[in-house]
Amino acid sequence: MSHVTGTSVHVETGHGHGPPPRARHWALRAGWVRAAWMTGFFFLLGLGIVVFFRWLGGYDPTLDWEPVIVVAGLTMAPLGFLAGLGGFDYWVSYALGSPTRPEDHSGHGAYTWRDYFRVNTDHKVIGIQYVSSTVFFFLAGGLMAMLVRAELARPETEFFDTQTYNELFSVHASLMIFLFIIPAFAGLANYVLPLMIGAPDMAFPRLNALSFWLLPIAGIMLLASFFFPGVGAGWTNYPPLSTEQPFGNVFFSMAVQWAGASSIMTALNFLVTIITMRAPGMTFWRMPLLVWANFTTSLLVVIATPFIAGSQFFVMFDKVMHTNFFDPGENGYALGYQHIFWFYSHPAVYIMMLPGFGIASEVISTFSRKPIFGYRLMALSLMAILVLGFSVWAHHMFVSGMATYLRVPMMVTTLLIAIPTGIKVFSWLATLWEGRLHFSAPMLWALGFVSMFVIGGLSGVMLGAVPIDIHVSDTYFIVAHIHYVLLGGSLFTIFAGIYYWFPKMTGRMYNERLAKIHFWLTLVSFNATFFPMHLIGVQGMPRRVATYEPQFGDWNLFISLSSFVLGASFMIFVYNVIVSWKSGPPAPANPWRGMTIEWLVSSPPPVFNFDEVPQVVGNPYEYGVKGARHAILNGDRAAAELEPVRST
Amino acid sequence: MATHAEAAEHHHGPPVANQSSRVDSRVLGMFLFIASEVMLFGAFFTAYFFVRVVAGSPWPEPPFHLPVFVAGVNTAILVTSSFTIHWALQSIKRDNRAGLQAGLVLTLALGIVFLLTQVREYSRVGFNPGDGAFGTIFYGLTGLHGAHVFVGLTLLTFASIRAFRGHFSAAHHHGVEIPGIYWHFVDVMWIVVYVTIYIL
Repeated sequence: MSHVTGTSVHVETGHGHGPPPRARHWALRAGWVRAAWMTGFFFLLGLGIVVFFRWLGGYDPTLDWEPVIVVAGLTMAPLGFLAGLGGFDYWVSYALGSPTRPEDHSGHGAYTWRDYFRVNTDHKVIGIQYVSSTVFFFLAGGLMAMLVRAELARPETEFFDTQTYNELFSVHASLMIFLFIIPAFAGLANYVLPLMIGAPDMAFPRLNALSFWLLPIAGIMLLASFFFPGVGAGWTNYPPLSTEQPFGNVFFSMAVQWAGASSIMTALNFLVTIITMRAPGMTFWRMPLLVWANFTTSLLVVIATPFIAGSQFFVMFDKVMHTNFFDPGENGYALGYQHIFWFYSHPAVYIMMLPGFGIASEVISTFSRKPIFGYRLMALSLMAILVLGFSVWAHHMFVSGMATYLRVPMMVTTLLIAIPTGIKVFSWLATLWEGRLHFSAPMLWALGFVSMFVIGGLSGVMLGAVPIDIHVSDTYFIVAHIHYVLLGGSLFTIFAGIYYWFPKMTGRMYNERLAKIHFWLTLVSFNATFFPMHLIGVQGMPRRVATYEPQFGDWNLFISLSSFVLGASFMIFVYNVIVSWKSGPPAPANPWRGMTIEWLVSSPPPVFNFDEVPQVVGNPYEYGVKGARHAILNGDRAAAELEPVRST
Repeated sequence: MATHAEAAEHHHGPPVANQSSRVDSRVLGMFLFIASEVMLFGAFFTAYFFVRVVAGSPWPEPPFHLPVFVAGVNTAILVTSSFTIHWALQSIKRDNRAGLQAGLVLTLALGIVFLLTQVREYSRVGFNPGDGAFGTIFYGLTGLHGAHVFVGLTLLTFASIRAFRGHFSAAHHHGVEIPGIYWHFVDVMWIVVYVTIYIL
């Protein structure tokens, strides 16, 4: 026994490589073939579980398809898919008692396009997987927006029945929120954050790979919901509307669980990476603001996301198991849903915004050639938003019939958030002040973000005031507000980020002219689409209804036509990205003369980021300061020193 | 650190990551995960609050009764298992493998007894999740907790398999410590559930 213990010490510390991987039959190898049959196998397993327990409990009928779809289709089959793809391979062998292996990096790097379609543990590959798949879901969600606008071009119902219309805008919102904005930020940060803090990878690379592969599952569930109607209660899914939807509503509930699990795992990974893996010299007060932004966002995700998981469990149980969480006839409390939901979903709007603040700070400082104004206050205001964000949820419920004494405190805290947000806006403006501005595409998007976000923020302050909110609740004023903050805010920063790091991620430059056309077309058509919604909203046009009063017809026709231009403008982006990625001019390591660490390595960075962890020697934004450096790479010296070691 | 030494030796792996915190990354990860789990319980307790306090549902809803005594004994069982897992961890810290194995097996056994008692209680308690919001919340909270006991037991089973196959030592016992932290969390959570559902 003692001998065995002795070896296990070696094994645990990772000196041993473990047994060499056995050559497996092609159907048993981790990959798409195994994913296919394991999906089916796990579905049958889930079916068996449901039938067994229904038989055990004496329920009639024994084979009921509703629980089968939830358990086998939406829970077990995705698990089988992940297991087949290889997401759990390491942990299974660990659980069965095989020696621990430190991450052996065999899953690192992407050498052909196929490497993007497997479980890859390289944070850079995962980042690209994230961004590409979220852009796919963005286009799918955008297509639904086009269909919604087509229907709304005329006052009567034209193309869809009302339930289909409800499903279109519900799935549009769900895809954009859960499958685009949140994971697109996670993807960009996945790529650049470890580079920025001088880490060779994330803290838990295998968990990172798994959290990505949960996303397509959630996205496909939302898309599949059109074949199982029922996701027609908005992305907010309020009961009793949601509990009275057709059965397909569970597709929304389960998609949220998968996407939520993905974001919690990624956030946990970011937090541990930022806390434990910063390069020497990288104190918290020397971290780039993107890292700060993702630090606060990840805290929000870890703390808040379980609340939406809970709220969707409740709705699903009420539907499938006929529980009474929200049934007032059985002492349930329907309004409780809104409290629980918004306790997540208000912090969620900061989850969808803070990483964008980080991107804007990077871009604006770099392209103004000036240190960011008020760096510490920029970081502290992020923390202030985090804390305040948990105290404002009921401002979504002023007209819901909740306790009226909650209104004024929630209004006050809501308006207080304008202070840290205002600090950020004025800091960006002060950074621009007397800077040497370079209006490249990332900068245009960042400036577009600041101006559009101010408009959205102002209507947000209006909505935070109880009397105005009561007047415009559930009108197009809300639709205008949400799109100014999430499209003019989050989406613009996502594009700023994609253009800013495109050379780093792909090693090629994008076409600047097309990028600028994309920006201006989007900016103009975006305002033409959403600004008039303020006007018709104040006049009382209700949202989430397929038909409307004829008096709003002219504005709606104009909005719909503008929205088609807005939709078309993204085609320029898709074309630009695909063509540039294939055949754009090679990108230098540092095309924007940035100071943060990701610009010190080649484009794209080497598989393991650095030969040796960089030494951080100063602040990240000392542009225009003579001789200032943020970090020093000593990879060359390290390679020379390692030479004799390698020859042994 | 040895992982990185090995990586440098072959010079095909990543560079040595700088350790910028004294906290171990795996322990920190588990604590963050537990923070998230606490919030999930928080969502369920919020539903409990709305049903019992705001909507004023009678508790327990007549004519039903809650088996306070049996659940109390069950609580004692789960609390005991926290001590046994602690014993297992302390044993391996002193390189006492027999103590580790005995502690893990005892913990597993106590956890399984707890779950089986819970199942027995479900079949005898006389109401089901559809019986008013009271039944819903009762099954919701105890069921959520039961699912966590199941996850904890699964993790402990992995640790046990590894303990019996000769892994872990005084220097390396994260594979026991981290499931142990989770197990303590499950235990503490049960005390909160027991007090709010059965006693108050």
